Amino acid sequence: MNRKPVLKQAFISSLPVLMGYTAMGFAAGVLLAAKSGIRLPALWAFLTSATSISGALQFMLVDWIRTARPMLDVALLTVCLNIRYSMYGLSLIERFRGIPPAKKLYLIWSLTDETYALEVENKVPPGGDSILYCLTLAALNHSYWIFGVTAGALAGAALPFPNKGIDFAMTALFLVILTDQCRERRNRVYAAIGLLVSVPCALIFGVGRGAEEAASLKDRIGMLIPSIVLMLSVLVVFRGPLEKLETWKNRGKKS
Amino acid sequence: MEKPGEEVMSGTSTEYLLLLTAVTAGVTFLLRALPFIFFGTGKRPPALILSIGNVLSPAAIAMLVVYCFACYVQDRPPVDHMFGLAEILASIVVVALQLWKRNPLLSILAGTAVYMTLVQTVVP
Repeated sequence: MNRKPVLKQAFISSLPVLMGYTAMGFAAGVLLAAKSGIRLPALWAFLTSATSISGALQFMLVDWIRTARPMLDVALLTVCLNIRYSMYGLSLIERFRGIPPAKKLYLIWSLTDETYALEVENKVPPGGDSILYCLTLAALNHSYWIFGVTAGALAGAALPFPNKGIDFAMTALFLVILTDQCRERRNRVYAAIGLLVSVPCALIFGVGRGAEEAASLKDRIGMLIPSIVLMLSVLVVFRGPLEKLETWKNRGKKS
Repeated sequence: MEKPGEEVMSGTSTEYLLLLTAVTAGVTFLLRALPFIFFGTGKRPPALILSIGNVLSPAAIAMLVVYCFACYVQDRPPVDHMFGLAEILASIVVVALQLWKRNPLLSILAGTAVYMTLVQTVVP
């Protein structure tokens, strides 16, 4: 009935995201302006952040633009980066059942890690409209992200500074995600598989270059696609033994 | 001069950027929508899909870390750059801070600052 407490609580819940998204988005925007070599970086920062709303992707984009990566690679890498989003929906199917299609589409479109966490937490005031709460949260977080990335691109283009080495932000982001994932013991097995598969692929294929610079087919392919194919094969073929290893490693923790 | 039919799409051309925006946004949306498309009617997802979906993420992130380092090895041959001292030190800062403080933003900013300082001064 009363919308105001719901809107207020959504805003309060979103405050940590406000800080995180504007700062992280700002870094991604600066990187885009500094390293991609595109004209009008702020325009593309706005368009990409508004449509994808994905942190790791926003950083990877810079690299893809710089090397003019073919679209098939882009699509496959996007799947790898963002496959976790398809797990999130599983726990929201019931919550989102029966709501009007336009609202449902927006809730799905705007489903980031942080928005998902807050929607599952669902701190809606007693008697308040839970869907209004989710929509408000999603829209707020979405706008923080767009603001951060666009402001970063504007600042990066307007204030040239000695930016050599700023690309390490992307490496740092992946290291942070990996560190957090490895807190969970079962993930360590799979992180190790990622390493074991991709190091030889890196040695054989290199990082891969755009069509113009590539010296050979091998150079053109690069390590990512072979690594993904190998990784998926290993995960599917050895699913049984891996799950055993997972529970074996967890043995000490239970009881 | 450009010869028709021999153009290679440059990464900074408007066509490339529009395509890139559409593909990344489209694929990401599709991933978010998958469970609603397939299991919106109450069907249980197949066990194989569920288990792969759960475990692909750590493997893929580990691969991306390797990819980042492979890029450094290519762009800054270790032999001429103190065997990757800057990369190694900055990575240690990121992982150690993240283990200790659990604040992603702090870890990323501190690690990047260390790296930028090193490559702009000690290990150019």
